[in-house]
Amino acid sequence: MSIYTDIRKDILNIAFDSGHGHIPTCFSIVELIQTVYETMKNDPTNPEWDERDIFILSKGHAALVHYVVLARRGYFEMEPVCGFGGCESTFGCHGDRNKTPGVEVSTGSLGHGIGVAVGIAMAFKIQKSDRKVYVIVGDGESNEGSVWEALMVAADQNLTNLTVIYDNNNSHARGLQITNPGEKLSAFGMNVIEIDGHDTAAIKNALLADTDKPKAILANTIKGKGISEMSDNHYPWHRRSPSKEELDRFMEELDA
Amino acid sequence: MRSQFRDTIMDLATTDSSIALLFGDVSVYLFREFQELYPDRFYNVGICENTIISMAAGMASQGLTPFAHTIAPFITERCLEQIKLDLAYNKFPANIVTCGASFDYAWDGATHHCLTDLAILRLLPGMEVVQPGSRAELDILLRESYNSGNPTYYRLSDRPHEVETDVAFGKGCVVRDSGAKTTVVTAGPILGNVVEACKNLSVNILYFPTIKPFDYELLDKYKDTEIIVVHDAYGLHEAVNVMPGLNTRYHGLKDAFCACYGTLEDIRETLDLGVESMRAVIAKTVNN
Repeated sequence: MSIYTDIRKDILNIAFDSGHGHIPTCFSIVELIQTVYETMKNDPTNPEWDERDIFILSKGHAALVHYVVLARRGYFEMEPVCGFGGCESTFGCHGDRNKTPGVEVSTGSLGHGIGVAVGIAMAFKIQKSDRKVYVIVGDGESNEGSVWEALMVAADQNLTNLTVIYDNNNSHARGLQITNPGEKLSAFGMNVIEIDGHDTAAIKNALLADTDKPKAILANTIKGKGISEMSDNHYPWHRRSPSKEELDRFMEELDA
Repeated sequence: MRSQFRDTIMDLATTDSSIALLFGDVSVYLFREFQELYPDRFYNVGICENTIISMAAGMASQGLTPFAHTIAPFITERCLEQIKLDLAYNKFPANIVTCGASFDYAWDGATHHCLTDLAILRLLPGMEVVQPGSRAELDILLRESYNSGNPTYYRLSDRPHEVETDVAFGKGCVVRDSGAKTTVVTAGPILGNVVEACKNLSVNILYFPTIKPFDYELLDKYKDTEIIVVHDAYGLHEAVNVMPGLNTRYHGLKDAFCACYGTLEDIRETLDLGVESMRAVIAKTVNN
């Protein structure tokens, strides 16, 4: 059983227990976010370590996968995450940096995290630090003009310490479609590496690749990856949590 | 006041290497010396107000002390959500310094007027909102609060008043206490007109360069007088009216866009904020 399957199972269990979901958007980035944490400098025993790299989940509604990855790394216990979305919980349906160790920036409203990531990358450049910044941006989120503003600034300042991971999971299909995202990212000044966002070797290679411009990893992913019902039609599952019957069925599918 | 902004920043930067400037293609020439001395810490981002605020948040998160600067309406009203979330909710303590207050760009029309910035930003938890009215006030208030640990908004005007005041961050000033039963409460550059308009009128004058946190201790001393809030913006009278039981009225903006061009004086006249017209309004209240 792979860690990616375990992460998906954790997400399903917590979504079932709490009644809160956003499962498909979490499932599209399981391999991406786990591999980023395996690659970047971070210390679960000291989330504020001043040499750490910074990860920002700009598509903030995938907070649950972030919590699960952090918990599995030892930032905190998995058990309290099960109160996900509850009034007293420190684990909200969107990440809150003032509540959760390892969450660097509170996100939720779309199109914000990437601009903050650019500011952090610029701060590291000013401070002559070799720390790096990683930000996962959704394709649906990229309807926001602020995403493209931030990319222009990253390119203008040649922030090679910034890696933008573009989660191309077809979220945008219902609304304004971002056609040819690779061409757009490239035209906005990024060095684009296109990969299968579920292929962990490809993710790792892309993360480690040296580039002479700010890097964009165009990760082609599947919303709801691993659960056929969700990946065939993710819309009904955007926010909902599974019933007991669905939970059992999905667990079986993940085990298969 | 922009040149005072430069002078104060230049002085602070001699000892504070955390200061970094993000400009929206405004006042760039004024800060040429800063740019020469500290090239890594000056960036004219261009016309990207949303991103300027988000970047300031990111820089503040790593211990820098950023100043985001451009024309008031574009970096406050356009970027309210960036200010609300990236700065205030995240508790990343950047400074926003604007020019083009109220009708400073009178001749450019309603797109360039900024009337709501003080009002909307004072609603954000943790946000400090400052309206210095003169060069001297800016120097004092900037030094006192630029590294307060909270996001802070400073609204500069190219048309400051010339009244001598004794300001401190978070405090109001008694410009005049006549023991009168009417108190004029004001803020910002319009203080010059207020002082002129109130000559020989039996009123007290209170001045509040810090809109948030607001000096309710001072206001409390005048709570039994009739209060006229005179302001060419929104925000001050809302702050005043947080205190219960006051007898207040507002003299300033109407619920309408100011669609004319002209000069600052022209617009103040249309709003009865010129010296003579203001005097007539205040005198009527005093005599009633």
